[in-house]
Amino acid sequence: MKTLLWLGSAAAVVVLAVLLQPGPGGPEQQAVPVDDAALSERRGALVDEIVFTQETDPGKVTGMIETGSHHVFAQGVTSVTVFNRIRDSQYAAHDISYGFSVELTLNPAGPHLDDGSLNPFHSPRVREALNWLVDRRYIAEELYGGLAVPRYLALNTAFPDYARLADVARALELRYQHDPDRARGVIAEEMERFGAERRGSRWFHDGRPVRVNVLIRTEDVRQRVGDYIASEMEDLGFLVERRYRTAAEASRLWLAGDPGTGQWHIYTGGWIATTINRDLAENFSFYYTSRGRPEPLWQAYDPDPEFDEIAERLQRRDYQSWDERQQMMARALELAMEDSARVWLVDQLSVAPRARDVELAVDLAGGIAGSRLWPYTLRFRDKVGGRVVFALPSVLTEPWNPVAGTNWVNDLLIMRSLNDPPLLPDPFTGLFWPQRIDRAELTVQEDVPVERTHDWLRVDTEPEIAVPEEAWIGWDSTEGRFLIVGEEHPEGLTARTRTRVYYKDNYMDRRWHDGSRVSLADMVLPWILDFERADEDSRLYDPSHAPNFQVFRRHFRGWNIISEDPLVVDIYSDQIFPDAETIVAQRTPSMLPWHTLALGIRAEWAGELAFSSHRADRNRVDWMSLVAGPSLGTLDRHLEYAVEHGFLPFPGMVADYLGEEDEIGERYQALKRWREERGHFWVGDGAFYLHSVHPVERTVVLRRSEYFQDSSDKWLRFTRPAIAELELDGPVVVERGDGVEFSLRITSEGEPYPPDSLDSVRYLLFDGTGAMVRSGEVEPVDGEEWRIRMDAEELEQLGTGANSLEVAVTSSRVALPSFASHVFATVPRRQTTTTEGDQ
Amino acid sequence: MSLPGGTEAMVTQRGFWRDLRSMLLFSGKRLLALFLTVLVGVYLTIYIANMGGQVDELRMVQIRSDVAEAVRADPAFMDMPAAERNALIEERVQLDVERLRLDQPFILRSFDYLRQAITLNLGRAEQMHSDAGSRQVYDIIVERLPATLLLFGTANLLVFITSVMIALALSRRYGSMVDRSVIALAPSSAAPAWFYGIFLILIFAFLVPVLPAGGMVQVPPPEGSLAYAGSVLRHMLLPVVAMYLSSIFISIYSWRTFFLIHSSEDYVEMARVKGLPDNLIQRRYILRPTLSPIITNFALMLIGLWSGAIILEQVFNWPGLGTLLFEAIGHRDTPVIIGSVVIFAYLLAITVFLLDILYAVLDPRVRMESIK
Repeated sequence: MKTLLWLGSAAAVVVLAVLLQPGPGGPEQQAVPVDDAALSERRGALVDEIVFTQETDPGKVTGMIETGSHHVFAQGVTSVTVFNRIRDSQYAAHDISYGFSVELTLNPAGPHLDDGSLNPFHSPRVREALNWLVDRRYIAEELYGGLAVPRYLALNTAFPDYARLADVARALELRYQHDPDRARGVIAEEMERFGAERRGSRWFHDGRPVRVNVLIRTEDVRQRVGDYIASEMEDLGFLVERRYRTAAEASRLWLAGDPGTGQWHIYTGGWIATTINRDLAENFSFYYTSRGRPEPLWQAYDPDPEFDEIAERLQRRDYQSWDERQQMMARALELAMEDSARVWLVDQLSVAPRARDVELAVDLAGGIAGSRLWPYTLRFRDKVGGRVVFALPSVLTEPWNPVAGTNWVNDLLIMRSLNDPPLLPDPFTGLFWPQRIDRAELTVQEDVPVERTHDWLRVDTEPEIAVPEEAWIGWDSTEGRFLIVGEEHPEGLTARTRTRVYYKDNYMDRRWHDGSRVSLADMVLPWILDFERADEDSRLYDPSHAPNFQVFRRHFRGWNIISEDPLVVDIYSDQIFPDAETIVAQRTPSMLPWHTLALGIRAEWAGELAFSSHRADRNRVDWMSLVAGPSLGTLDRHLEYAVEHGFLPFPGMVADYLGEEDEIGERYQALKRWREERGHFWVGDGAFYLHSVHPVERTVVLRRSEYFQDSSDKWLRFTRPAIAELELDGPVVVERGDGVEFSLRITSEGEPYPPDSLDSVRYLLFDGTGAMVRSGEVEPVDGEEWRIRMDAEELEQLGTGANSLEVAVTSSRVALPSFASHVFATVPRRQTTTTEGDQ
Repeated sequence: MSLPGGTEAMVTQRGFWRDLRSMLLFSGKRLLALFLTVLVGVYLTIYIANMGGQVDELRMVQIRSDVAEAVRADPAFMDMPAAERNALIEERVQLDVERLRLDQPFILRSFDYLRQAITLNLGRAEQMHSDAGSRQVYDIIVERLPATLLLFGTANLLVFITSVMIALALSRRYGSMVDRSVIALAPSSAAPAWFYGIFLILIFAFLVPVLPAGGMVQVPPPEGSLAYAGSVLRHMLLPVVAMYLSSIFISIYSWRTFFLIHSSEDYVEMARVKGLPDNLIQRRYILRPTLSPIITNFALMLIGLWSGAIILEQVFNWPGLGTLLFEAIGHRDTPVIIGSVVIFAYLLAITVFLLDILYAVLDPRVRMESIK
């Protein structure tokens, strides 16, 4: 009886717990529909609240979206099973990014290894032949279940350089398409040249079977890729040993080990890119020459002298014009394929699942984690308000501070919504757009090749750019003042670039999340801190900051506040990027709230906390966190002191840039209120503020900031990538002597693709042997319609046989190029004999 | 014949001192043996966790690789000449090498780890942080302790109490329908708790979505403490049920067999023959003589909570010590691994020692054996 009672009580608790669903509190969870007019009136973020929580199991993704408990999974999913579930769900949708590439790293040591055995991959021809051996389409479609696209070249297929060189790339891809017979022939030739002989189905050298050790990564699909390659090598007649290893185990062999020992011959490598890289010119040096990395494998690379020289020049950006660069890139691509120290296989697609009614801007390379625009575009489709729940693989991974805090992608993803940078990168092209600046003027030396795409900036050249004497170039930590160019370089100083940034008129009218008004001190103090942390005489000296700072000092040539109202700043530097937009983005100063930095500075002076992990470990103190943990108590004490004494760091310099009369007092009072209300010290100026932090529950709550007054629809055009969809059509048989016309439709989501957004629409014509016989521009007709016309004379070059017409379309809206192909046959003209009877 | 009062007192006193001396000697020997066991156990953990120093090599490769990729990904270093960039990488690698003391021989560090562990100076983690951001191993462990104790404590106590109660009842109904059902269901415990967890999540979180699929509390966490407690209770339900299902039948079966053996002792039969009530027989004739193994089991269950359950916590996304240890192994964070192990080792040693004493208190036979 007692047992029954007991069991009954337990059941009652269970039922109670199921029924007891506590209300979440906070803002109204439901988003409300909105029309375009109302949307354009709205200011600030499009949703009211974002909750980040930790979920490590991608298997739960679809279920959680379907039950409505979560809306966005920021972790890229690469499992085909999960992807299929997402695709089949009526509640889930997904975005795709291209940031992970898979290749075969080949061991170039030899030709004879330390044990005397033959290493066939010492031969560039054998390495090159692997390109014909592997069936990239099979790998992408079968092994990766469609979650990958074939990749042949040293350029990521979703990055701008690939699009810019689309016609060259396409020609090379056709040259190296799957042709196992050709691979077998080349490899056999080379093996015989090395003195190997074939006995039955096996290759032998010096009486021993030729061995190939395939080092196979086990954590992902690369295990299947490795097995596929190993089987192909066995079929070729090699004695294959499959060595299955995890990342750490494998790295001891391929990365740290001497390739001459022959522990491995082929390694299933992978490389990740978290943002769109607009300049891949240094890829050739990195992947194919000894300059890439100091490890033994790279030191074993011995590229062809021509390739080595081009790779080195590309790395140094040693070219006079953009055209010259493109020619060098095209040649380097060709030589890289002949070298093939790496055989590129696929660009893996990563799927970011989300609820079907949720939209946000996702970076083409880095997914949601790599997107800077997601906070400005996140919304329930055609609605405003509501709460969005994000799942991240980890939350609050490391302590948060704005100077040298966490750099984990998941932490940075959240931080990006709390701060508002002056420029934001386009998630589809990587080019920067102005957010807090009105315009910029970039002046470069005449010999510096720089490309401008957008019209918010102007680029001009000068034979010599002199840095004015009054520009700040250094910092004297003893006297607490900036050093100017006049005293540091009395002989005068020049720079390769001058970036003049015009901030928006209302830039100084904005407020931090704690309600305090921004001032120029918020821009000046972070600069001082940067110099202080690299100065050995400073109490803030941080050895881990010094190496990076020294690099910065090498190209930094000074900065100067030209006007405070409106704010105009000049920055001088020797650092060059091919895109003018990137140079401006890299140089433009941003702001951090000086009053929170001041507390950190005091805590570090007192030896209680440290901005960086390194200094924290060195001094055996806590790594500063402005959002949680033991740091908060320490910062509380310093806040009390600051309130009481009106503490201002480096007053000799910073005081001149304070705005309001009692800014010091007001700032600290605002921060004190903020700390009491929110429980942390993280003050930003972004579209969302940090509402609450729950470390053990691994949950972070953000709410829409009332101080953020940008139009809500400002960035909505970046919610979906405008990928061009092509339809190429034409006759499948053409008689020699006739002309021909092919039609091309270019659309995006069913709408004609705007012609002014198309960078290039080119065609390439290949004959039956795969040789390119002709290329040119496709001719616009009307709207989405384009055409390619060839007269009889042009077609005559093809001869008789099967031909391929390839079209490559690149757009200024998205880095991803689009391709279409059409196969047609040229046949001899039919001899028609006309007779009266026939008629 | 009786001894004079003073002599009797002296004899009693002498007996007390003799017993005390024996007890102290016994305790001293046990403590020394347990300490040596802890010492060896912890050192083995240090040695194995570092693969005899080979992990240093892995870490070096990892550091070099991480730094190289970080430098390469940073646009600020994009136009650096290769030689300068490699020098920068080397400089940054050296900073990490110094920080992690990888420039010292592992054998020296291993004894340093041991010294700190044995003195319970848990020190700083090398890679990890507490959820709140502290690098102290103590903070990292203590932060996860409440969640672990709550979940595993609840489940294990439920299993322990119900299984003992039901087993006791079944031992009197040997061969009944319920008894046979329990025997039949006992093999169900071959499946671990996480296995049941997956099915429970599938049913109660996705097919009939009445309970959360994971986590310790709803997102965002409720602001009121009552609502918070209610939310934690809801989130505990599925993992507790999973653990309960995976243990209860085998536990009942074991205890029932154990009680069955004791129920057929002659003195129990004699009590029954004398017509004593069932409750009295259970309490005095079955439970009391079996108290030592029950307490042992209970005590070991309590310290077993310390280790958490890695996969179950992963499945239910529960922020417990099991996940922590898993993360520490993944990060090769030796201080955190040692911290978890040394505390467990000390708890186990203390429990064993206390049980030795408790046995002596509970069972005069053990006391006499020990003294002899």
